[in-house]
Amino acid sequence: MYKDKLDRILLKVQKPSRYIGGELNSIEKDPEKVTMRFAFCFPDTYDIGMSHLGMKILYSLINSVPEYWCERVFMPLPDMEEQMRKNDILLYGLESLEPIRNCDFIGFTLQYELSFSNILAMLDLAGLPVYAKDREALTPIVCAGGPCVCNSEPIADFVDICILGEGEEINLELMRLLEQCKAEGVSKHEFLVRAAQIEGIYVPSLYDVQYNEDCTIKSIIPLEGAPAKVRKRIIADFDSVYYPETFVVPFSEIVHDRAVVEVLRGCIRGCRFCQAGYFYRPFREKSVDTIKKETVSVCETTGYDEVSLTSLSTSDHSEIEKMLACLADYSDAARVNLSLPSMRIDRFSEELLDRIKSVRKSGLTFAPEAGTQRLRDVINKNITEENIMNGCRIAFEGGYTAVKLYFMLGLPTETMEDIEGIAELCQRIIDLYYSLPSRPKGKGIKISVSLSTFIPKPFTPFQFEPQPTEDVIKERQKHLMEVVNTKKVQVSRSHFDVTHLEAALARGDRRLSAVIYAAWKKGCKLDGWTEYYHYDKWLEAFSECGIDPSFYVNRQRSYDEILPWDHMDLLIDKSFFVRENKRAHEAQTTPNCREKCSGCGVSRCIGRACFPNG
Amino acid sequence: METKNIRVFFSKTGRAVYISHLDLYRLFQRAIKRAKLPIWETEGFNPHVYITFALPLALGTAGLCESMDTKLTEDISTDELVQRFNDALPRDIRVLSAAEPVRKATEIALSEYEAEFDCDSEAFTKFLSAEHIPAEKKTKRGIAELDLKQHLNVLEQRPGYLRFSFPSGAEFNINAGLLFDAFEKISGTEIYSLHITRTAIKCSDGKIFG
Ligand code: SF4
Repeated sequence: MYKDKLDRILLKVQKPSRYIGGELNSIEKDPEKVTMRFAFCFPDTYDIGMSHLGMKILYSLINSVPEYWCERVFMPLPDMEEQMRKNDILLYGLESLEPIRNCDFIGFTLQYELSFSNILAMLDLAGLPVYAKDREALTPIVCAGGPCVCNSEPIADFVDICILGEGEEINLELMRLLEQCKAEGVSKHEFLVRAAQIEGIYVPSLYDVQYNEDCTIKSIIPLEGAPAKVRKRIIADFDSVYYPETFVVPFSEIVHDRAVVEVLRGCIRGCRFCQAGYFYRPFREKSVDTIKKETVSVCETTGYDEVSLTSLSTSDHSEIEKMLACLADYSDAARVNLSLPSMRIDRFSEELLDRIKSVRKSGLTFAPEAGTQRLRDVINKNITEENIMNGCRIAFEGGYTAVKLYFMLGLPTETMEDIEGIAELCQRIIDLYYSLPSRPKGKGIKISVSLSTFIPKPFTPFQFEPQPTEDVIKERQKHLMEVVNTKKVQVSRSHFDVTHLEAALARGDRRLSAVIYAAWKKGCKLDGWTEYYHYDKWLEAFSECGIDPSFYVNRQRSYDEILPWDHMDLLIDKSFFVRENKRAHEAQTTPNCREKCSGCGVSRCIGRACFPNG
Repeated sequence: METKNIRVFFSKTGRAVYISHLDLYRLFQRAIKRAKLPIWETEGFNPHVYITFALPLALGTAGLCESMDTKLTEDISTDELVQRFNDALPRDIRVLSAAEPVRKATEIALSEYEAEFDCDSEAFTKFLSAEHIPAEKKTKRGIAELDLKQHLNVLEQRPGYLRFSFPSGAEFNINAGLLFDAFEKISGTEIYSLHITRTAIKCSDGKIFG
């Protein structure tokens, strides 16, 4: 145990309490009495990782088994890493303060592509070889889960196992298998072969990928009985799915320092750029009773005074009004604020506004994503200008003077007209504000426009699309800055350098493992942090490996190309994505799943209609 | 009922020594909410439970006699108060007792510490017996030079162990860690491990702050 060693270095680093564990509700077990140890690694810093709901769920779930012990592990910032290396401290779990290399599982959750280099950094800090083939012993098994595993090919050389789908289902099954294999004393290879038989488990080393001369994929052949298609696991009965009674409460302030209750999973909408919307299909929701019960439990056991009702689109809960009314009784009495982070502008009403008013009076956030109706139809963001104006009117009449609007630049079929549409939309919102007699007196309006760059993602109808080149993106960004000519609108935009790498990694194949390795060797890590991001080093790494990132970023794929992730089965037919892609190019919208099923394939796989009337 | 002032004594040890003063404040607020204790809340737009700490403890130093003042709005037995606090606090912060405050925080004059450490003992003895122990202390106005020797009172010393006191209080306060930083700097040798614990807080008349 590193306690003594840590005592020597912790006063030399920023915010030491995030490196020592011991927080309320953290779980310490007797190492002698546990049979399986799981090091749950979030490949980013404590402040970010501790805000993440998936980690809280799996942490509690594994620890609910008395003989299994799950610990939390995060990426140390450079000041801490330096101290650890100087003092021979290997990456350790916050619960035991012991090196994680002695654990049975080292599990990474992959929420964004820019955390890939952190996997290598953390394995190395743990004193382990970064390449899976160089880790010969049965344990630790390095696994990865989270939305990024729908295309885990870029990290295929580093991880032993990927977990496709909802970890609540698979994790314990996998742990039981390893426990058994350890007892039998089988080899790591034998364990992997057996693990590949579990539905939702993907073992990259059991697939042989061949390439064509133009570098596209020729074939992906499963070996040793591994399934040709790895099928995503989902939870059928979401209402009774495991949910933690409590959360670990950090000592220091973190990004989202509050209680969280997941009210639904999936999304009915089908926005064509949104990977999460497809990854988490089918749409499932919890009953109001369950939500209330979980809210009370988490609030009472943590002492938080804010609870966030989270999901991809909370306002789409079929009983949102009843839910809020029911929760309000509790939250008023317990003096807990409710917050709804993801709200659709077309579901926005006076009542909703009243409920969330107490939380943040300063600003409201909406995501029209595109400036013209035509382009909103292309991306299937089923929002009309009327919806937007109506939402803003309610907000202004409710006393808000600032709105934040999210847009995406570089969407398929986008023209300069669509860019100008953003400025025009802002102007109409400003005009609306000043036309309202009931607007807040004596106050101006502020619109913040957040302009991100479109990144085509696997398992979306836009998976075939190129991202516009650097010149085009920069020209359009510039044009928007020119056409926005009022101080009432403030535009912030994403950095090209970062989106470019994210776009390459998102749709990368296995050949990118070499690039990630080379970049990491050059010192790349914490790529999600502007101050640590080195685009130049990444470009060097690409060129040293003889790989042109534009092959992944700017290339149009044909519908029949074998995509690097084609052996993953997200329960959605590829033909559905093709259909949706064609409709996008015709600016045809597709109704949301609750209105009408579009036959994506999920309901066939789960053997029932997604919605009762469907 | 009228509100009743109460002073809660607690220890902060082990992993909890890295909790900053600001974070400790929030931690107790949440613990009070979890424990549903009848604690007075400030009025106004954003009400919060009223708590105040008599004397901050330096980051990295453990404490066995820390205290927090608050106001109760209902009668509750000391035993129950202690129990409910402890059920709601992280393991390494323990409420030890509670009582009506006797002394004012402004009467605090010194703190006693116990340090266990691993270093060159001879060098340490030599360091302590020097006529002056120059050190630098961070203040609001920048860095101030001071002679620790003038303020240090050694109560017990043996190899690897020192019991001593330093002035404490809102007016003038010296962190215990300063002594060991000065040793490393002056002797040019390293301390391999160091655990400092505040064992007593006393008023100017020499009586325990209670
Ligand atoms: S099967 Fe139909 S309702 Fe279900 S997710 Fe697919 S499109 Fe939506």
